[in-house]
Amino acid sequence: MHDFIDHNLLARLSALPLESRQAMVGSVAGRHRSPHRGSSVEFAEYRKYVPGDDTRRLDWKAFARSDRFYIKEFEADTNLRAYFVLDSSGSMNFASGENDTKVQYARRIAASLSYLLVKQGDAAGLSVCNDKLHLEIPPSRSASQLQNIFDSLDKLEPKGETGLVQALHTVAEKIKQRALVVILSDLFCDPEELGEALQHLRYRKHDVVICHLLDRQELDFAFDRPHRFVDMEDNSTVVAEPTLISEEYHSALQEYLVAVEDKTNDAQADYRRIVTDEDYETILSDFLTNRLR
Amino acid sequence: MSFLQPALLWGLLAVALPIIIHLLNRRRHRTVKWAAMDFLLKATRESRGKKKLKYILILTARALAIAALIFAIARPLLGGFLGFGASVDTVVLILDRSASMERSEADGQPSKRELILQQVADAMSELDGARLLLLDSATQEITDVPSPDVLPELSNTSPTDTAADFPSLLAKAFDYLQEAQPGRTEIWLATDLQLANWRTDDSRWSAFASTLNSLPTPTSLRILALPESPRDNRSIRLLSSRRTDSELILKFEINREDSTSVASIPVTLNLDGAPTTESVTIEGQSRILTQTRPLSDSTSTGWGRLSLPPDPNLRDNHLYFTYGPQKPQLTTIVHDGSLSQVALKALTRAAAPPGFDSLQLSLTELSGSNPEISALDLSQTTFLIWAAPLPSDTAAVLVRSYLESGGQVLFLPTTQAQGHSFASLSWNPLEVAPEGKFFIPSKNWRNDEGPFRDGQDGIPLPVDKLRAIKRLPLIPTSDAIPLASWDDGSPLLVRKILGQGTIHLLTTLPDYKWSDLEQTALHLVLIQRLLEDGSQRLNTSQQYAGQPPLAAATLIDSALPSSSYPYQAGVYHLPEQTPNQVALNLPKDEFTITQLDPNEIKKSLLPDAPVTFFEQKAQNNSSLLQEIWRPFLLAMLLFLLIEAALTLNKKPAKKVAA
Repeated sequence: MHDFIDHNLLARLSALPLESRQAMVGSVAGRHRSPHRGSSVEFAEYRKYVPGDDTRRLDWKAFARSDRFYIKEFEADTNLRAYFVLDSSGSMNFASGENDTKVQYARRIAASLSYLLVKQGDAAGLSVCNDKLHLEIPPSRSASQLQNIFDSLDKLEPKGETGLVQALHTVAEKIKQRALVVILSDLFCDPEELGEALQHLRYRKHDVVICHLLDRQELDFAFDRPHRFVDMEDNSTVVAEPTLISEEYHSALQEYLVAVEDKTNDAQADYRRIVTDEDYETILSDFLTNRLR
Repeated sequence: MSFLQPALLWGLLAVALPIIIHLLNRRRHRTVKWAAMDFLLKATRESRGKKKLKYILILTARALAIAALIFAIARPLLGGFLGFGASVDTVVLILDRSASMERSEADGQPSKRELILQQVADAMSELDGARLLLLDSATQEITDVPSPDVLPELSNTSPTDTAADFPSLLAKAFDYLQEAQPGRTEIWLATDLQLANWRTDDSRWSAFASTLNSLPTPTSLRILALPESPRDNRSIRLLSSRRTDSELILKFEINREDSTSVASIPVTLNLDGAPTTESVTIEGQSRILTQTRPLSDSTSTGWGRLSLPPDPNLRDNHLYFTYGPQKPQLTTIVHDGSLSQVALKALTRAAAPPGFDSLQLSLTELSGSNPEISALDLSQTTFLIWAAPLPSDTAAVLVRSYLESGGQVLFLPTTQAQGHSFASLSWNPLEVAPEGKFFIPSKNWRNDEGPFRDGQDGIPLPVDKLRAIKRLPLIPTSDAIPLASWDDGSPLLVRKILGQGTIHLLTTLPDYKWSDLEQTALHLVLIQRLLEDGSQRLNTSQQYAGQPPLAAATLIDSALPSSSYPYQAGVYHLPEQTPNQVALNLPKDEFTITQLDPNEIKKSLLPDAPVTFFEQKAQNNSSLLQEIWRPFLLAMLLFLLIEAALTLNKKPAKKVAA
């Protein structure tokens, strides 16, 4: 058993399906729309017959009415392939007070969503990156995939610098079919570069979800005395008096957050800012509910 | 600046406390692992400039607040007289050593002179390395003071009974500065603002401002004034001491500042060492008294003094006199031949009555177009009666010289008077009363002083009984003081001071064709009183303190300690002089209490000159150095407010919404 799996929570959430916001190309029939027109049960549109079309899909009733050949097209339902891209750089190990570290929070989300996806017959895979992409578990629908993912999540050790942007480019290149890409990171990278990586994913027609994980202390910057700040990624230090630089800090943070939001909007990604002191059941249920609309 | 509690200035080390606390705080930082390092670095970079400056300002405000508090509790003294940043190479202290400077504000308190010396010594300690030169009003000599601390002990700063002459003192200081050029100089003039000492009518004042501005080295004048405060001071002044064959007649005046009540003042006469005390009742501000004492024989010599009880100023409580064999008193009558025999006889009888050998007379007739003026010798004249046209040319020089040496002159009408003037006095044409009518004097004449004053027993003279049918009116002038007038306002008797002497001018004659002056005997009183005043001129045994010394002298008597000739009042023995005893008294000017308006100094005496006026409130016994802890406390509050404003005036940081 892994401590980041809450079965009661998963039981409660299993009533809510995880939907893709765009058509998926799957190998098996599933609950998600496919871009391919096919023989599913849900009518999509008529189109004129062209030589080479399967004559079995001719709508004879339409021919009888109009004396023209129409092909009746249906939307194909298929399964969903989800890739969880988890940032395991040093900064993800930050937590203030009693809160979970960002990576712990990300772990819970990834594990929970993987479980829900596999349970609803979709494929889930996991990619972990810090300075580079160092773990890739291809998506699979099998029950053993879950165990595989959970074990990998359990062994995660955040360290090193962020190589998220490069990892996203790699993921975009590697995934051939449309997929749901869930990014779990504190996004401490250049928003411009992040924007380009997201555009890359969008170009590949992936449905991108970004879970931007931040600690409350990182947002509030509430310190009452001078501190020596040690960088969690490269161990460099800065001695500063937070009361003196608080204003500038908040200004820089705000500027960054606005830039990140702009970039995610440009890439039509589903951006969610998550503060690690928030209840993750609420976060997950909100997420799933919003995806239904 | 100096401090009453200089040891507390060690507390200034506490100024370093805010900085030390700040540095310690920086060292006592916590270490925290941090992820959002980019924002932190950016914030640190951006806050370096103004935030650092703000923090430095906060630390400075804290340090200054502590410094101000330490300064305040160390009780700083400011040379209020000097002001901040005084930088002087040489200080010339003009010290008023006149008798009025010996007044103290309360019993047992230092006199104004002592107070000022101490204050100057304190102020000098503020001026490191400045040279102090002393120019005292008594000797009028410039002396180098080796150290301000010895100032009160110097002989040139001891009390005197002299008067001060500021125009002469300033002229002396300017001459010295012209010659010595001692660098940046300040002249400190320490005075009690007694008007008489300033001699505002001195012609040299008009040039002083430009002299001060044109001195070769930058020089400014600071006037350190100790104004008079109300305290009942009494003084006694000798008007005359006269010897008849067997009597000594002393005429003296008692003045007091409090005139609201009747006072009984004990006056002690010490005649040749034998004291007797009598009480004198005084109603107004002053009273003139005469005391007569029998003497053993007509040739005896001796001395004495009259004393009042101690009061705020001890120096004006004593008068000294000497007496010797009676001297002849010569009255010179100068007339132009038109004076009637009746008038001449009346004048002769009044000036030298038969049987009084000591009263002698000299008659000079100046008639014709070219009178022999040069034959007129006034050197031995006690009193001059001038019944001729007012003196002009040689005669004017002669009479003026006589007056300036202390002579008494009475001008009388003459029928050939027109066309002449003397000391801005001149006659109008003769007026004759209408038939059956008279010129009648006004009832308001000066009966408190002057020749028509009341008698010793307080009985007024019969001035209002006088009737005249002829008078020679005076051309109105503001220079002469009317002592008695006719009822139409035209003057009967006027007085004008010239030098040390006095002119009196009577507008009618003791001749029945002019008036009944002879019947009222007013002319007799007038002549005898003026003769008595004039007798002081030739009295070399009476001198004022500060007059040039006659010879080396030894002290015979003085009521006050440490008397020296010729600056302190007393009776002195002059072995090589005749007479060989001299009585030194306070100059007449020192009895006047009129103060100079300080504004007059800058307005009319020294306009457009670098003059600073510093009026010392003597009654609070403060010094030139004033305690100024209050501004430091205010400064501390100000610094704390600045610190609070810098600390609290921080915009609440915009928290980023989750």
